[in-house]
Amino acid sequence: MTSLLRLSLLLGFVAGLPALAAPEPGAQSKPGKINGTADAIDLASGEWDNVVNIEVSVLYPNYQEPWNAGQPSGGSGTGFLIGKNQFMTNAHVVSNATRIMIRTTNDPAPHPARIVHIAHDCDLAIIEAVNGDSFAHLKPLEIGEVPKLNTEVNVLGYPIGGDRISVTRGVVSRIDFRTYAHTNVDSHLTIQVDAAINPGNSGGPVLQDGRVVGVAFQGYSGRVAQNVGYMIPVPVMRRFLQDVEDGQYDHYVDLSLDDFSIENPAQVKALGLAEDGVGVLVGDVAEVGSAGGVLKAGDVLVSLGGNPVFNNGLVRVDGDLVDMNEVVERKFAGDKVAVEYLRDGKREKGEIVLKRFEPYVKLGSQYDKRPHYVMYAGMVFQPLDRDLMDNLRLNDKTINHLFDNYLSQKMYVERPEPVVLTNVLPDEVNTYLQGLYPALVDEINGVKIRTLADVKTALAKEGAKKDFVEVRFVDNGRPLVLKRVLADAAHPRIMKNYNIREDAHLGDAKP
Amino acid sequence: MIRFLLISVLSAAGLASAEVPKAAPNPVTAGALVPAPPRAPVLRTDSLVRVNATVQAYDVFQPWQKQSPAGRRGLGVVMPGRRILVTAQMAADATYLELELPESEMKLPARVAGIDYETNLAVLEGASSPERVDAFFAGLKSIEVETSVSVGDMLNTWQTSRVGDLIVTPLRVSKILTSIYTVEGSNYLVYEGQGILRSEGNSFTLPIVKGGKLAGLLLRYDSKNQVTTVLPGLIISQFLKDMEDGKVNGFPSLGAQLQPTMDEQFREYLGLKPNQGGMFVSAVLKGNTAEKIGLKKGDIILSMNGFAIDSRGDYNDPDYGRLNMSHIVRGRARIGDALEVVILRDGKETTLKGKLSRKEPGENLVWPYIFDRGPNYLVNGGLIFQELTKPYLNAFGENRSASAMRLSYLSDHPEELEDEGRKKLVFLSMVLPTPAAQGYGDLGGIIVNRINGKAINQLSDAEEAFKSPKDGIHVIEFADFPRLIHLDAEQADKDNEMLKGGRFRIGTLSRIEY
Repeated sequence: MTSLLRLSLLLGFVAGLPALAAPEPGAQSKPGKINGTADAIDLASGEWDNVVNIEVSVLYPNYQEPWNAGQPSGGSGTGFLIGKNQFMTNAHVVSNATRIMIRTTNDPAPHPARIVHIAHDCDLAIIEAVNGDSFAHLKPLEIGEVPKLNTEVNVLGYPIGGDRISVTRGVVSRIDFRTYAHTNVDSHLTIQVDAAINPGNSGGPVLQDGRVVGVAFQGYSGRVAQNVGYMIPVPVMRRFLQDVEDGQYDHYVDLSLDDFSIENPAQVKALGLAEDGVGVLVGDVAEVGSAGGVLKAGDVLVSLGGNPVFNNGLVRVDGDLVDMNEVVERKFAGDKVAVEYLRDGKREKGEIVLKRFEPYVKLGSQYDKRPHYVMYAGMVFQPLDRDLMDNLRLNDKTINHLFDNYLSQKMYVERPEPVVLTNVLPDEVNTYLQGLYPALVDEINGVKIRTLADVKTALAKEGAKKDFVEVRFVDNGRPLVLKRVLADAAHPRIMKNYNIREDAHLGDAKP
Repeated sequence: MIRFLLISVLSAAGLASAEVPKAAPNPVTAGALVPAPPRAPVLRTDSLVRVNATVQAYDVFQPWQKQSPAGRRGLGVVMPGRRILVTAQMAADATYLELELPESEMKLPARVAGIDYETNLAVLEGASSPERVDAFFAGLKSIEVETSVSVGDMLNTWQTSRVGDLIVTPLRVSKILTSIYTVEGSNYLVYEGQGILRSEGNSFTLPIVKGGKLAGLLLRYDSKNQVTTVLPGLIISQFLKDMEDGKVNGFPSLGAQLQPTMDEQFREYLGLKPNQGGMFVSAVLKGNTAEKIGLKKGDIILSMNGFAIDSRGDYNDPDYGRLNMSHIVRGRARIGDALEVVILRDGKETTLKGKLSRKEPGENLVWPYIFDRGPNYLVNGGLIFQELTKPYLNAFGENRSASAMRLSYLSDHPEELEDEGRKKLVFLSMVLPTPAAQGYGDLGGIIVNRINGKAINQLSDAEEAFKSPKDGIHVIEFADFPRLIHLDAEQADKDNEMLKGGRFRIGTLSRIEY
């Protein structure tokens, strides 16, 4: 899904956009009904000031030189008032932000703003103006329901092509489960519309009968598809709002199991199933995930939350057959789901306590996070995740294999945070180490490396040969060795020469 | 470095020969203005024959059938005993071979008398009545093999024109080194030389000649850099010696991964003296010479058969100068020859002694190559099981699916699977649409652990295990998702009959040959 575009108007992105076609003369027979007002829009009324432009300065992290601050850039998106000084927008509009400004159509003054809640896994955020007085008089937009297929919607926002607010119109084309491009690993309910949704529309409201039925958030490049825009629908918005009610966002939860459809008559018979089409095979379970410890591979899941699970993994909810993961979508960390399953032909009952599956997060893009690293004597150690893979374009069979099979082969058990030697900054001390990276680190000075923090402690420890620092890799029989006295002497020199102010960043202290 | 296999040269040649000769200018004026050039003497040799091959490999995805046949044309060199030397590329997977005299175009069907895929050499013999063979070889003379070549020597490449004239292209040897041949892991001695080579219709197995003797065969030609790589006379003569008893045993191999020790800090860590050479053993593979003589990971090889090894892994070869140590094993020596390795282990020098051996391709967990036979397979109820081969993985090209990437990784890391007792990597390669396999159509590329409770260490285990279904149902367990499937034994038997004939025409439900 690389062609999915997030629609915040990032400056670097604008440059790459083709010139806009000349606007065609409007031939609309009847103006749409928007926001419950009269058909025509009167900007001077100030009624539209609750749909705001969000101007963001961002800092892209630098994974090549993780000690550097990164690349400053900027972007722009849309937000809308949902409560007193509370603006909803997309997480991707305000990710990696160093400064956020709110502007409205009628008030050219920029208003500094800050993030209140951000949910990268469903691409939603709430921001507030530092001084909310200017917005105190505005009426928040109401949130509606899931619109029906083929019903008309309007998209409001500040897309490319001008500075003032823009309105486009279309119908609801499709309601489906889709991957959210922001993390590229999370999938939720998504509504496709054929209204023009362009860069800068991100975070803007999609309205029907004057109420918000979605948040515009992604689309396709015009080279891939036409008139395909997506919005985050109300159930996802409401779940986010409910999650943050306690003051913090707790993320989506996941069953963390793979199911395999039972279609084969021999399988039905061998697993002792009735002919009613109920029961799906549990193909794999992540031990550290929600279902771990309750279900295991080879079980047949027959009921989830009191609803029968059909042989293709679908569950009937409110009359519709939906994927069983959708049942879990609406739930929160700590919620319990009753399951019934067959194990060795016997019907068993259990209860799954839902939680977030942490290893999954590494496979998706992460934001608002300074790259972690440890540098010693020119050797740069970094934790393996999606961002590192994408930014460094690592091309090593062992690293790729670990990343591709991180979940399926349960590699996270042995290495919760795999560490890669990504670079060796050339210096007299390490001149023979070129060519030994990138490589997956197994041990340092005899200490098994499970996380990046282990690197820091292991480097300080004496190994079997105390005069040497010894790094062993997962897939290379030749250890990397440096004489400790030489490496210690070279370390400050390398920091100075390469302008490295801190030799490690292991994460910001948690409040 | 970009290398072109001769297959690409051949296709280029095909294009070139298809070109229409440039239209001559008006013959009258041309004849009047351009004097005829003096004719160079026509070169001929009685030691070359043309070889025409029709090659056909098995389809790696549907291993019961063969791919479309393709033609290959090359030259063969006449050896004593009415035999013709060619590269193995010329004869591998051949369904039909014939020899042809360049001038008279007389033809003789041929067969392979011996072939070694690793050194890329084969010997052909006539496959016809003694009278026809006699007649064919009547005017031919065998050529001697020359093993003595040094950097700077001028060699000649022989090609034949369409009418049988000899085309001679000089080639100066600029480097002697060890380099990869055609199959994975086949590193042997080569000569490299500079020179532009013509594209002719028969580009496989061009002889390289020194003073009328065979100095080597063309291994590949890189047309971009005009580098010619020659399979040298020494390897040819070792191969011919190997064939003397009528059987090809192949070349010995060591079976260890070695790392250089130029890094001073690494040398100090290993306890090497400043001027001492040596190669660090980073891995010892199962079932090969290194393991048999007791070489261990962490050893440092100081010398081999009396040759001191430097920190780069080179030694001083009496015939060819500085060469990689691999030539001591797989060039200078033959299977059964003595091997003596001086190593540094735990700071002490130790000598390991033994005999050179080799690991046969079939002794690997993953077949490194498959020629002149199809991959092992077993079909049951539409499920197709295979033993993993490198050609299967290579067939995916660059865009490998996640499961193909995983199989590819495992084929490079066989140790753990071998420790589990697996002799071959048996996997479900694909599923044909049968009633028995309903619901399994999307499965493929998954490793089989057990069938009907029995561990599957090679495909013959699967064949045996399928004889004992439980309550009429086969239980198949995989290493990965979905872990477990079932197959109705009776329905599978019915489907098998349909697959043998019917639209799929599989013919034979299995090929299990070791």
